[in-house]
Amino acid sequence: MPPAYLGEFEQLLLLAVLRLGSDAFGPDIARELEARADRAVSRGHLYTSLDRLEDKGLLRWKVASGTAARDGLPRRIYTVTPAGVAALRASRDVLRRMWRGLEGVLNER
Amino acid sequence: MSGDAPLDSARDGPPRLARWLLERALPPGIRGAAIRGDLLEELRSRSTSPARASWWYSRQALSLSLRYGWDRARRRLTGAGQSDNPERSPMFLESIWQDVRYAVRSYVKAPSFTLAVITTLALGIGASTAIFSMVNGILLQPLPLPESNGLIYASDTNGKGDNISLAWPNYLDWRARAQSFEALADSREESVTLTGTERAARLRVRRVTGNFFRVIRVQPVRGRGFTDEDDRPNAAPAVIVTDAFWQTHLGGDSEVVGRVLTLDDVPHTIVGVLPRGFEYVRPYDLFVSMGRVAGTQQLLDRGNHMGFYALGRLKPGVTIETAKQELRSIAAALEKEYPNTNTGVGVMALPLVDRLVADVRLTLLALLGAVGFLLLIACVNVANLLIARGAARQHELAVRAALGGGRARLASQLLVESTLVSIAGGALGVVIASALLRALVAVAPENTPRLAAVHLDSTALLFAFAAAAVCGVVFGAFPALQASGVRGQHALVRGRAAGFSGHSHRLRRGLMVVETALALILLTGAGLMMRTLQRLTEVDTGFRPDHLLTTRFNLGGPSWTEDKRRAFFDEVLSRVRALPGVTHAALALSLPIDGSNWNSIFIVADKPVPPRAELPNAAFTPVSAGYFETMGTRLLRGRTFDARDTASSAKVLVVNEALARKLWPGEDPVGKRLKQGWPETPERISPWREVIGMVADTKLNGVERETPLQAYLPVTQEPARGLALVIRTATEPSSLGPAVDAAIHQLDKDLALFQIRTMDQMLETSLARQRMSMLVFVVFAIVALTLASVGLYGVVAHGVTERTHEIGVRIALGAEQRHVLGLVVRQGLSMAVLGTAIGVAGALALARWIEGLLFGVTATDPATIVAVVAMLLTVALVACYVPAWRATRVDPTQALRTE
Repeated sequence: MPPAYLGEFEQLLLLAVLRLGSDAFGPDIARELEARADRAVSRGHLYTSLDRLEDKGLLRWKVASGTAARDGLPRRIYTVTPAGVAALRASRDVLRRMWRGLEGVLNER
Repeated sequence: MSGDAPLDSARDGPPRLARWLLERALPPGIRGAAIRGDLLEELRSRSTSPARASWWYSRQALSLSLRYGWDRARRRLTGAGQSDNPERSPMFLESIWQDVRYAVRSYVKAPSFTLAVITTLALGIGASTAIFSMVNGILLQPLPLPESNGLIYASDTNGKGDNISLAWPNYLDWRARAQSFEALADSREESVTLTGTERAARLRVRRVTGNFFRVIRVQPVRGRGFTDEDDRPNAAPAVIVTDAFWQTHLGGDSEVVGRVLTLDDVPHTIVGVLPRGFEYVRPYDLFVSMGRVAGTQQLLDRGNHMGFYALGRLKPGVTIETAKQELRSIAAALEKEYPNTNTGVGVMALPLVDRLVADVRLTLLALLGAVGFLLLIACVNVANLLIARGAARQHELAVRAALGGGRARLASQLLVESTLVSIAGGALGVVIASALLRALVAVAPENTPRLAAVHLDSTALLFAFAAAAVCGVVFGAFPALQASGVRGQHALVRGRAAGFSGHSHRLRRGLMVVETALALILLTGAGLMMRTLQRLTEVDTGFRPDHLLTTRFNLGGPSWTEDKRRAFFDEVLSRVRALPGVTHAALALSLPIDGSNWNSIFIVADKPVPPRAELPNAAFTPVSAGYFETMGTRLLRGRTFDARDTASSAKVLVVNEALARKLWPGEDPVGKRLKQGWPETPERISPWREVIGMVADTKLNGVERETPLQAYLPVTQEPARGLALVIRTATEPSSLGPAVDAAIHQLDKDLALFQIRTMDQMLETSLARQRMSMLVFVVFAIVALTLASVGLYGVVAHGVTERTHEIGVRIALGAEQRHVLGLVVRQGLSMAVLGTAIGVAGALALARWIEGLLFGVTATDPATIVAVVAMLLTVALVACYVPAWRATRVDPTQALRTE
């Protein structure tokens, strides 16, 4: 099966989850996007996008227990699946190919 | 929002509406729970202010519910599972999205139309949301007390049904016999002077029985509550402080329990601190135990009604009606047991919240009615605008229909358009509402109960959007129905002949009639309110309110003996009179407008004593010499008090005209004798007094209230403890405040002056409620009149455009200018006249709803109605004349060419 096509935001999300390593949960992902990509994201957009990546098989989550700060509600910790890593790699390759040879045009300004 | 429950820990809880939204929108199970948990954690970790954090949370909740709602709708409509391609939306949603974009584009292309529609809607929705917020905060929200619905407020009434407060022995009997209540407490409001601190302070306290806090189900967070022990006659005086007092006066001292406060010279031990945010009916500083007054003879006398009111907690399952019945039967039994004191004494009992808002209920409901009319007018106006636009777009719609746009498709597009403007109008309306609400709270009378509970809350917000949605559907329906009836080939012929536009014109004329009628009703309301206020300001108050400064002080505590008080009165008056700018000064127990502080029954010597229930009642007012001269009250007979009237001289009094007229009609009251109290009250407590003078009536209980019978006593013979100082000045009265304060402070540093006000301010305050109603009605009426006249103008102008051809032919055939003018104006005015007639009928039908708010004018006042009708028709005439005049400019050759 060829790797799924990834939109820009989907790429950013998967990268953020990878960067956070073993404890990527919603608020951390949002913070990572904000800090590194300068991208303020509404929680509606965030969670529905995460769900979509999960539907595509690029992301999965496991349940962690809640704390008092969240009234004991459970946490979802996300990890990128091998298919997700493959899709990221494919997207990067496409971009690389498109960039190749344009360094001169885009760097001189 | 959570504002209605200050006892909640509002700090770490998310807004209720947002929480509610999330619970419905998020997916079930762990997915939803985890998202809610994430949000909660983020909310609590945010370092911004609680308001900003709440706002952030609400925004995220909205974005989540929109996203998930959209996902769910899409899945349901495609009937497919999650694997479906999300990029492909079903036809239906796709087409709505198209409609939305199309509508936005077409609105942007017609900015003036869009502006008119949105402004009209925003005014209607904004005004109604503001008034609804007010009604909601004051009338509908439960009190901020746990399970406040079970709290019943009760007291004795006299033979006439007036509340006379609950006599202490009656309370004890109620408490012993009544089965309807879990507990029955008693309490009254007092003010006391706090001394022993840097500066003496006047405090507002509530004296309560030991079970009071059990009844309201609030317990101190530090120390203890009161117990029945505290009600015993010899119990040590105890006090529970509110959180605010603890913070401001006691510095939040953690060792506060056990400290002593000196109140009216009596040491009171602090036994507890109430929770933050606690409020019983109005802000109090302290709650004091019965202790000090418990055993006093005054309290134990069943004939004395000392300002106490009972507060009961109903047993579960017991209704207010049952409780009332039971109290009535107890009162009937007490009437038999104690005929001397309890004859004619009945029961008043109602839910606590009703008691609190009884005075403003009528005003608020009238305002709510008025705003309902305004919203209706706004809707009608918008419908009119949209229909006009629909008519103008018939060609476009016809083309779309001819190209295969189905009826449903066209109708749905128009519905989307109207929904879109209502949402825009609703959003702008919320902005207007919050501004208007701030203005309303600012002009509301300062004694309006629960004003602090008024805020633009989520209920009001929902109300606004519901109103907007209803508007959208209602006025979207007309053009949609019309448009869906268009037959392609018919409308493609761009002629006057299209029956469609004739139909829409009839509809618009009908709506105009409705709008005029509604505007007239509002105008009548505004007119009546203006007349009321005018009448109130014209009332003869019986004194000269200008250049009067008033303030109060209280000589509480055992050290202030009668002799000491008399000496103090003399000293105060001579010092104040010596101040520069003071022309007169005097003392009085009660001041006009402010209300009587002592009402009592009395008997007269030369008339038979009537049965107990029919004994006359008067306001008894001890005053100093020079009082009538200071107030500018006319002396009609005899003399006023002077240096001759001392503690030991013959007991005398001065009566007002109302008393003389009631008791001695046609006779000279001077020389008659009168005794305050019951026939059997002993002479040493209440002596017979001789009338030495009669003065003009003054409006004692407020401008709009009947002047009661009033008897003035010399303060030397009746040295009251709490008195008002009233000063007539040669200069601006409020400028003397500091000098008076300093003079009294010099005399006694432990004496706190309170309520320093000018008489003009008191008058102003007493009319604040009427002024607010008038302002709101007038503003609404102006908006209504503007909307109606613009609407009328639009319809007539549209009619002229439609008939350009016909008018052209008439002019070509020799019609004179005045004929054309007459033709158009007549047509326009006929709508206004019909609307006015319906409006007058409506106003008469609604008269009784507003009657209770009026003074000196009836709700069907012909002068007001005539003036209002004349005003409306004049405006209508102008609105019709402008397009009519334009019609006379029609160039016949041009007009004929439009064929």
